[in-house]
Amino acid sequence: MAQYTQLGLQDAASPLMEELLHFHDHALMIITLISAFVLYIILTMVTAKTTDKYILDSQEVEIIWTVLPAIILVLIALPSLRILYLLDEINDPHLTIKAMGHQWYWSYEYTDYEDLGFDSYMVPTQDLTPGQFRLLEADHRMVIPVESPIRVLVSAEDVLHSWAVPSLGVKMDAVPGRLNQVAFVASRPGVFFGQCSEICGANHSFMPIVVEAVPLEHFENWSSLMLEDA
Amino acid sequence: MLATVRKQLRNHPALIPLFIFIGGGAAMSMLYLARLGLRNPDVCWDRKNNPEPWNKLGPTDQYKFFAVNMDYSKLKKDRPDF
Repeated sequence: MAQYTQLGLQDAASPLMEELLHFHDHALMIITLISAFVLYIILTMVTAKTTDKYILDSQEVEIIWTVLPAIILVLIALPSLRILYLLDEINDPHLTIKAMGHQWYWSYEYTDYEDLGFDSYMVPTQDLTPGQFRLLEADHRMVIPVESPIRVLVSAEDVLHSWAVPSLGVKMDAVPGRLNQVAFVASRPGVFFGQCSEICGANHSFMPIVVEAVPLEHFENWSSLMLEDA
Repeated sequence: MLATVRKQLRNHPALIPLFIFIGGGAAMSMLYLARLGLRNPDVCWDRKNNPEPWNKLGPTDQYKFFAVNMDYSKLKKDRPDF
């Protein structure tokens, strides 16, 4: 989950998010070095006591500061395009879940084998138990088996919403009348939080998404329990 | 026009990398746009002879430009014909 004064991205919980994190570090390092270098040049220029008033141009330095930025841009573009194509690859999902956005809650349907569906409302602040996270907890979590490719079909029943879980590297708009598909693999067990990411009315900030990745046997037990309760 | 450019290049050879990168970038973008226009199955040019090319995709077709981790020849068809 996001933390107070957090500066970087959340820890990755899926291989795609790991790739995105590493690319972010790569790009951030490049722009930090460039900015530090430019700041140094500016400081030396500004604090210099002497000036050479006969410098008009220099072909050599022009070539350097054309070629070097072009090379740096290529070094940023190649990993970026690689990740772009990686995000769109076809995987073979083991499970398909439908996430429907409503005002102001999410509902999840697991209809591959049986008819399992439930709503997921935010836990109100006054009902939180100690240790729970304010504005992030939901009464029913979307439970998935760990290390299995999951396909989530996102749509909405009323207005635009967006289903986002940053630590899984997933964000997909929920458009009424449209099915959007997003796929991911949870590489470790855990609880991953996200929030609705498209303005949808008064309680847009109060419809969180909670994904819980558990081993397969626990997932099967959970789904049998949920089916019994329904 | 070309004579002017050639004279400027002789006096300022630092402009040559600029031509290379900008020319190369423009060429690559145009080539990719042409590839998208001609080879993308979402595009229909001939309504009489090839009306819906997106219906002709097989399970092993790769229509994206670049495959990082995906072996398209291993995919199988898992939906019924219609």
